[in-house]
Amino acid sequence: MTQSASFSERLVAADGFQIRYFEAGRGPALICFHGAGGLKLGRAHELLAAERRVIAFELPGFGASPPNERTRSLAELAGTMAAAVAALGIERYSVWGISFGGKLALRLALQQRERVEALVLCSPAAIRVAERPLPTGEELRALLYAHPERAPLAEPPPEVERKQRALTQRLIGPAREPELEEAMRRLELPVLVLFGSEDRLTPPELGRHYRRLLPQGHFVIVYDAAHALDVDRPEAFAALAGDFLKRHAEFLVKRESSLLYP
Amino acid sequence: MRAALFSMVPYESPTAARGWPVAASDYAPEIAQASMDRALEFFELADEAGFDWVSVAEHHYAPASLTPNPMVMAAALTQRVRRARIALLGANLPIQNPIRVAEELAMLDTLSGGRIVAGLLRGTSNEYVTYGVNPAESRERFIEALELVVRAWTEPEPFGWLGRFYEYRAISIWPRPVQIPHPPIFISISSAEMAEFAAARRLNAGLAVTNVPRARESLAVYREAARRHGWEPSPEQVLYRAAIHVAERDEQAWEECAPFADPSRPVGALSTANPAIDEAVARAGYYGREGERQRARIYAAGELRERIETGQLLAGSPATVLAQAEAIGRELGAGILELAFIAPRPDSRRRAVELFASEVLPRLREL
Repeated sequence: MTQSASFSERLVAADGFQIRYFEAGRGPALICFHGAGGLKLGRAHELLAAERRVIAFELPGFGASPPNERTRSLAELAGTMAAAVAALGIERYSVWGISFGGKLALRLALQQRERVEALVLCSPAAIRVAERPLPTGEELRALLYAHPERAPLAEPPPEVERKQRALTQRLIGPAREPELEEAMRRLELPVLVLFGSEDRLTPPELGRHYRRLLPQGHFVIVYDAAHALDVDRPEAFAALAGDFLKRHAEFLVKRESSLLYP
Repeated sequence: MRAALFSMVPYESPTAARGWPVAASDYAPEIAQASMDRALEFFELADEAGFDWVSVAEHHYAPASLTPNPMVMAAALTQRVRRARIALLGANLPIQNPIRVAEELAMLDTLSGGRIVAGLLRGTSNEYVTYGVNPAESRERFIEALELVVRAWTEPEPFGWLGRFYEYRAISIWPRPVQIPHPPIFISISSAEMAEFAAARRLNAGLAVTNVPRARESLAVYREAARRHGWEPSPEQVLYRAAIHVAERDEQAWEECAPFADPSRPVGALSTANPAIDEAVARAGYYGREGERQRARIYAAGELRERIETGQLLAGSPATVLAQAEAIGRELGAGILELAFIAPRPDSRRRAVELFASEVLPRLREL
């Protein structure tokens, strides 16, 4: 894992877990949930921390944390994470979820409607197409990144990856969950859903489902990015997500100046 | 008085969704083709029946209009409408490349043998989302772009433009407009800023998405400013747009256009279709120094009776509609009445055009 200098590493006790998290920045809280590959702090986290308090959790059972055999469902994990956020004394927050973490973010928002202000979902895994087993090594990197040269140098060691995969497979749930999709229809909060134009794991065509289901859903295709779009295009992603977190539905109206000369 | 027939060329489906932008999930190409065919026939009918102008406009991302590029529709009209002027009311100048606008209008003027009217507008608030332009800069972009369009039409030598919002190193458009020095320009004068700007530049005045009392206020600003600049606008320089329906009898006309007068439906249907967008655009200062007055104009709704009384809608028998048109001409000094025929059914809409052309238009001309 690449750790950014500006982020400090801490632990919080919640629901019987010792949960590691990284924090940087000040302002409104943005809770970050990583994908199935574990926590990888990157340029996007740093950029977002310029204007807000970014808290990136390592979900229990991922990375360096002990194996998590206790959590039985994503909804239960969402409950654990809500407790972790509460333990930090944060009352209102937005959530950024990547892939597996995107589905987790939806589950959390459904449980904590009073506390969650907005969601940013990168290549969320809440609705998926027919799945093949994930490859490893270079093949996996080719699926995750359109620009591997911008990506972290190494994926987690094999034993960590095995542990994470087992946990993800146990928790992620079926490719389509009618109960979740029904609940999404009533999720009244601003949601930004992004997919990479080159994503072959969760192809961008999945975005239309979120747009149809979520009453305040916005769907954006990130050009020249694959599944890990925040790694492929961190500046573009952070600029858009930052604007959305600040302005919600009003982010549709661009406010950058087009003045060339005064 | 002259008459223009205006259409946004709607996607004619009873189930067309509101909101903005509107999803194309239920889009049926055959409905769009039929709608567009019908619109072309309708414009053709207006031309044959004696309307002085036919007008199209630019609106995006909604079934309310199938002419996001009105220049393309106007190009088709140059081949179908043989006599009437073809008015673009208009192109949304601040969100477009102004050179492209100048080129397309010059092409159209050439294709139509000099029959183009260039309505250059700022567009409805939602259009600032369409091409990602900051609405706070709309007015300044508009003013610079308008000046640039006129220069592009009239400067005989290649020239560069070092603007504030636009910069080009060399411009020399081909073709040039047929009308010399250039096609007549209409701009919207609903805001005081634009009324004063139009007066200062001797531009023609357009009033749409409004009603007679509000238009009278805008025209007072325009005429007063024109006086200060040493000129007086003639009636041919003032256009007023209203909705219309005509039938044999008053009651029939009112009944047939009742769906239009949904009291919850603001006159600025597109500006108000997505409140979050309009709110953000308003906060950016788009509506100018009289923001509240401008938004009240756009959000105005009302019962059928009220819409008729304020001149937002002309509806009734030919005699009733003639009286309304005369009153508008008298009260506003407007010489061009631009009419959007709003009967939902194509056959009653067609009948309305025929009745208006045969029984109202000849009398209007005498005014």
